[in-house]
Amino acid sequence: MDISLVLAALRRHKIIASLVVLEIAFTCAVICNAGFLIAERIERVQRPSGLAEDSLLRLQLSAAKRGDQDALAQTRTDLAALRAIPGVQSATVVSQIPYGDSSSNSGVNLRQDQDAPTLDASVYLASPEALPTLGLSLVAGRDFSAQDYIDWQPGTAPGEINIPTAIITQATADRLFPQGNAVGRQFYSWGSQPTQVVGVVERLTRPSETDDPSSMEYSMIFPVSVPYTSGANFLVRTQPGQRDNVLEQATAALRESGPPRIFGLNNGSIESLRDRYYRNDKAMAWLLALICVSLLVITVAGIVGLASFWVQQRTRAIGIRRALGATRVQILRYFQTENLLLTLGGSLLGALLAVALNLLLMQFYEVPRLPAAYLLLGLAVLVPLGQLAILQPALKASRMEPATATRSA
Amino acid sequence: MLALRNVSKIYRTGSVETTALRSLDLHVKPGEFVSVTGPSGSGKSTLLNLLGLLEAPSAGEYLIDGALSHTLSDFERSRLRNEKIGFVFQGFNLVRDLTIFDNCDIPLRYRGMGGTERRTRIESALERVGLASRARHFPTQLSGGQQQRVAIARALAGSPRVLLADEPTGNLDTHMAEEIMAMLEGVNQAGTTVVLITHDTALAARAHRQIRMLDGIASEIDAVVSDTLTLNASALA
Amino acid sequence: MTHTLLFGYYLRMALASLRRNLLLTSLMVVAIGVGIGAAMTTLTVFMVLTNDPLPDRSERVFHPRLDAQDMSGYAPGGEPHDLLTRLDAEQLLREKRGVRQAMMYAGFSVIELDQGDDMPFRQRIRYTSSDFFPMFGVPLQHGQPWSAADDEARARVVVIGADLNQRVFNGGNSVGKLLRINGEQFRVIGVAAPWHPQPTFYDLNREGGFAEADQLFLPFSTSRALRMGFAGNLDCWGEVDKEEGQLGLNSSCAWVQYWVELASAQDAADFRAYLENHSSQQRQNGRYQRPVNVRLDNIPQWLDYKRVVPSDVRLQTWLAFGFLFICLLNTTGLLLAKFLRRAPEIGLRRALGAPRSAVFQQCLVEAGLIGIAGGAFGLLLAWCGLWLVRQQAVGYAALAGMEAGTLFGTFLLALVASLAAAAFPAWRACLVAPASQLKSL
Repeated sequence: MDISLVLAALRRHKIIASLVVLEIAFTCAVICNAGFLIAERIERVQRPSGLAEDSLLRLQLSAAKRGDQDALAQTRTDLAALRAIPGVQSATVVSQIPYGDSSSNSGVNLRQDQDAPTLDASVYLASPEALPTLGLSLVAGRDFSAQDYIDWQPGTAPGEINIPTAIITQATADRLFPQGNAVGRQFYSWGSQPTQVVGVVERLTRPSETDDPSSMEYSMIFPVSVPYTSGANFLVRTQPGQRDNVLEQATAALRESGPPRIFGLNNGSIESLRDRYYRNDKAMAWLLALICVSLLVITVAGIVGLASFWVQQRTRAIGIRRALGATRVQILRYFQTENLLLTLGGSLLGALLAVALNLLLMQFYEVPRLPAAYLLLGLAVLVPLGQLAILQPALKASRMEPATATRSA
Repeated sequence: MLALRNVSKIYRTGSVETTALRSLDLHVKPGEFVSVTGPSGSGKSTLLNLLGLLEAPSAGEYLIDGALSHTLSDFERSRLRNEKIGFVFQGFNLVRDLTIFDNCDIPLRYRGMGGTERRTRIESALERVGLASRARHFPTQLSGGQQQRVAIARALAGSPRVLLADEPTGNLDTHMAEEIMAMLEGVNQAGTTVVLITHDTALAARAHRQIRMLDGIASEIDAVVSDTLTLNASALA
Repeated sequence: MTHTLLFGYYLRMALASLRRNLLLTSLMVVAIGVGIGAAMTTLTVFMVLTNDPLPDRSERVFHPRLDAQDMSGYAPGGEPHDLLTRLDAEQLLREKRGVRQAMMYAGFSVIELDQGDDMPFRQRIRYTSSDFFPMFGVPLQHGQPWSAADDEARARVVVIGADLNQRVFNGGNSVGKLLRINGEQFRVIGVAAPWHPQPTFYDLNREGGFAEADQLFLPFSTSRALRMGFAGNLDCWGEVDKEEGQLGLNSSCAWVQYWVELASAQDAADFRAYLENHSSQQRQNGRYQRPVNVRLDNIPQWLDYKRVVPSDVRLQTWLAFGFLFICLLNTTGLLLAKFLRRAPEIGLRRALGAPRSAVFQQCLVEAGLIGIAGGAFGLLLAWCGLWLVRQQAVGYAALAGMEAGTLFGTFLLALVASLAAAAFPAWRACLVAPASQLKSL
């Protein structure tokens, strides 16, 4: 198949050829970028939090009447009631959770007198059994012992109480003590006394997004028992498969174990909180996918429409070729080659446009640089689809009888 | 009525130049019946395109009803074509998807005519060509001769001053051809200038004047003079 | 040539032509419709988010910011904290440099109903000073808001919203009735008419500013006297009051939301100078450590700074319009093919006297018809799209609905888009040389 012949014919239909190339180019640019954004969102939505999400329930309560009841004691009673439920592996109280509504952060210094904190970390105040309940995996050191836990006194501010021991995440440890071996080292955060690292967990993500993605894993756990009245979260870890039964029983148990209290509106599984947290990302990914699919359908349909027109315009030329001895297959190959040139040209131009589009997006929306592999995505999708689109009009052209073609209409 | 002065028409495709008309002089008076004959490639159709303001001359002037064609804008040329010229083509050129009525309607629409006047004109034109009963039919439902008659009706509906006919009988049998010629003569007698292009010398002879085209050059043939003189004229060209 | 008469003619010709090529026509209508649907859905969401909550005064209601923090974490050229310290806020309020000003914060309260055995329930509460109501134009249907004297006296009064009024008192004029909040009795002195600025610019913490309207208002001073609970952002950096804790008057904590109304937007420069002067004085007496760094944003500037329109929404809107552009490109190609296929007919019409403009207009009428049909289809798709958005049911998504403006806008967009797409094909069509199309030997 002589490419130069094909090109010469295209040159005579410059305008329609350019329109096809342009349409393919823009479609390619959108698809390359959209594909990358979708992959990015999917990756984001799959970020592990460090929790055993499939078996965790979260319950929040608040006091109905302002009384002088010992909220801490009540909290311990509630925990005992929760632990007594069959199907419950362990239970604890934590001041905040990933995907939750509240977040508390504190600066961390290596020396007491520093101009600026070494880093800013999220602070989890946890009651006994926190690590096994949350499902965190200890990679160094030990869990808190019974003596480590401190009771929160009502009215204390974070600056005021001293935290002798803490567990930090691997990311925090790497940042604070790059040489390794964080266990036994000290840092300054709350209070005036240093805090000693007794254990390092692999991962515990922060409740809210940070500007810098690398600081999403800077978390610390302080062994401070907080009362349920402070907006804390009861966390219940269930046996596999027991999660939904236990939720009902847990709610009932809490009703019975204390005075009438108001239950939070979002009590349920951690997984549902996670879904809610990522709903915008999922919606975005779906929208991008929908647009890509629609774009492809429309582009393909457009190619079919234009190709049919082209074939009809060149009926005479095709007929003459057939009369001069061209076979059906040769006519078919001619149109397929023509289409291939157009889609290839369009995809190459589209790759350039994709890079330009990505640069634009990088400037206005926090989007990372488009990896080179995605430039091929457009090509990989559009060239085969283009060939598919041309099939029907090209077959129709090849089936034309020489006589009908040369007969002037 | 129509005056071509020293008109030439050259077509350029790439690097190839074709001279279709050379230094042509032609004057047609109102009410005349002029026929143009000649072999293929002699420039007959180009002549008709020029007369009908479908193309512009490469050199020379064309005066139509006193107006110089090259001074006219596209809008004015279209208007002139619409109001003063009627076309009859060999290929009929009827729009397949429109009814006979709608086909005849086309030039009248561009004249901005009101609905009643259009209907009256179309009906009387179709009456003249004897196809009034087929107004709502489509061209594919008519025979070749009937389609040509519709084309004539379309041309006549606008009461043109000039009727340009390009091989109107080319695709028809002798009986039909005779009917069409008779119609053209009748139209001419009613006052319309007719320019007829044909390869049939017998039909051409029925005109008031005969023009012979050869290689882009026109020569006048006296209607009275016999075939011998025709041969001499072509030898001179 | 009278063009209006021909419009009807072109319409008839266009309808017949579109009907004849139903497949091609449907393809173009669908292509335009999908693009329009996507564009209108995202545009509607964008309009919801860019809504001006107080259109009659948003230009002259300002949010001042001061840089009161210590040097820890200081970066030159950085933005001052969103919130004021209580000391700064009370001083600004006392000095009354604006026409009206108010300091406020949010909390959670527990409301107990004395009658019936309904459980107590939690209610979001707004603690504010008296100017809040006239400054933001809060309409009251019964009673009135508290006065500056009530602020001074730490009066136990509240203003309740229409929904809360309905829930607790079954509606009606509840002025004078008592409400038990966090165990204390408060007297209702005003009932607000339904008031829901979108977004709630003064507090963007919940659902990006598109949560339910505030239903309970209580004087700031009273809330502090009773040590009522806090819900919001709190940043502390230094000494904290021993007795009152982080929310104490002298605590080095930023947590107070402060708004000021000026006579006109031109007065902003003067007020900014006043803020700078205040900052300099604080530096002189050693309270401020950072260099003077003030901001004064009016409502639109504040909403922009706080990125109320998430970047995702912006991206989606641009994406949808890019999609529309490609759909139009597609339509241009198909229209070109359609018109050029009719070249013989166009040549004939030209020969019979149609000027180029007539051919151009006829093509545009046909394109316009496709545009209207595409617009109708797009409207249907946008309706579905907005329904899908509303399924999220939270935040701004719940507000994404079809308005009369959307309807009109959709058809206008569709018409303009289709005419734009048709401009080039129509121009090419009218350039068809009549001579080349007529079968002459």
